[in-house]
Amino acid sequence: MKIRQFAEDALTIYLGDEIDEVVNRQIVALRHHIEAQSFEGVVEVVPSYTSLIIHFDVFSVELEKLKAALEEIDIDALAQEPFEYRVIEIPVCYGGEYGPDIGYFKESGLSEEDVVRLHADTEYLVYMLGFMPGFPFLGGLDERLYKDRLETPRVSIPAGSVGIGGRQTGMYPFESPGGWHLLGRTPVPLFDADREPSILYEAGDRIVYRSIGEDEYRDIEKRVAQGGYEVISEVRNK
Amino acid sequence: MTGILKVLNPGIYTTIQDLGRYGHQSEGFSPAGAMDYRAFRLANQLLGNTENAAALEMTLQGGTFEVLSDTFIATAGADMPIDIDGRSHPSGIAIPVLKGSTLTIGAASDGARTYLSVAGGFKVNRVLGSASTHARSGIGGYKGRPLKAFDRLAAYGGQVHKIAQQRVQIPRGDDVVHVVPGQQFERFDEAMQRTFFEGEYELTKDADRMGARLKGPKLEADAHDVLSEPTQLGSIQVPKGGQPIVLLNDRQTAGGYAKIATVARADIPKFVQMRPGETVRFKAVTVEEATEMYKAEMERIKDGTYMETNNDFRAHIRPVSKKVERIMGG
Repeated sequence: MKIRQFAEDALTIYLGDEIDEVVNRQIVALRHHIEAQSFEGVVEVVPSYTSLIIHFDVFSVELEKLKAALEEIDIDALAQEPFEYRVIEIPVCYGGEYGPDIGYFKESGLSEEDVVRLHADTEYLVYMLGFMPGFPFLGGLDERLYKDRLETPRVSIPAGSVGIGGRQTGMYPFESPGGWHLLGRTPVPLFDADREPSILYEAGDRIVYRSIGEDEYRDIEKRVAQGGYEVISEVRNK
Repeated sequence: MTGILKVLNPGIYTTIQDLGRYGHQSEGFSPAGAMDYRAFRLANQLLGNTENAAALEMTLQGGTFEVLSDTFIATAGADMPIDIDGRSHPSGIAIPVLKGSTLTIGAASDGARTYLSVAGGFKVNRVLGSASTHARSGIGGYKGRPLKAFDRLAAYGGQVHKIAQQRVQIPRGDDVVHVVPGQQFERFDEAMQRTFFEGEYELTKDADRMGARLKGPKLEADAHDVLSEPTQLGSIQVPKGGQPIVLLNDRQTAGGYAKIATVARADIPKFVQMRPGETVRFKAVTVEEATEMYKAEMERIKDGTYMETNNDFRAHIRPVSKKVERIMGG
């Protein structure tokens, strides 16, 4: 564990050098630990692949005390402790107008059905969120689905689009330009300011995509509009 | 909800901002918020508003507004001329305005951003605890976007208890921007570090609320790409082309380029008031020194260092004195 400071109001803690499930577990455990301690002046803790940043208020933080407390943490022991995480099911309508790039995988000898079979019903680990609000950096994509980005990025990708960029899969909570290959789209709003929580998942959670047909897509869309749709999620503890 | 201003001309890029949206960076929400936190705070101080009261951030040029209710306005930041029904007023003071008046705020003669506050602050739905607009994700402020003609803005209003008979005066300052070594400072060899500190960097036209691209001596690192990691306000990232980008309030919360340095918080107001074509030189300080500089700057903002007595105060209230007295409860 290395503690560094690159700005007046933040400490950065490094726990590894590479994308790694064990490092993610340590980062998530450390984040929960710091939040539970309610250190004076700590404003928020932001996890990423190999590091975690602690933002604080320079006027109320007791920086030396905070650093000393961090130095004392046994990160391995902390990561052994069971902690709660959610498994969130995201329904996706694959192919057609929702996933215009699914046919590109024919180059790799995969039919549309193969792509859906390899992409859906797999638990993806949320390493971090970034790029845009609610955009998850997911790990666990089957290597047969690795795909370079589009040569010419799209000017606009609809909100809810699910795609693949390089070795990563993920989804766009907001309409945005982007260069990922699009496999499908979810009717579930990935960001909703009036929902608690407004973003459905955080680092350490798992996401599972469930393949749905167009009828179910429209049905969910309707229920979302009427406020009658609940996202399916399971809380696990291990 | 009482309307306070109707937008007739929104200017170039005008958004509602407060001090920013915190506690949600882990979900990917940029903090957003007023770019020049000093001018924003001073504009609110002129009206006795709370420090986080939402104000308009106007970029390079103000706008034209119809006043919908009697109130007070104040501006601080870049020097933009103010015209109310054909009468001109200086920037940096509190001014009473009456229902039916036309308020025009002109182009900045110097600096880039001006804050317009109204009594009580602008009233919008807070998203995740903040009124700040983050246009890229379409949240906060007025409908999640920059203002357009015919938008009707509301304010909290309320009794104005203390109108400062003062004028905001912020010295222009030099072209030195202090920085703290960044996450990947060591990836730049000694010669490159020297280039960074000895060179002059020009602000390009690609400068907005997300970040500012600079142009100057090329910077090469051992490797320019890093695993996505959290960004910070003022992070100076250097992509492969070797031209630095300073990340600002609407930045992405994670970034994958080598960061050579972080702009000292105390110098953020100076940096965000730069106009395209102007140049900066970077000077290294330790993070401890930067923290002391920031604390001293916040002290100056609060203790009246940037306020001077406004002898013309009466001149600007005389034409409407009766109504003003009524508004002021006197």
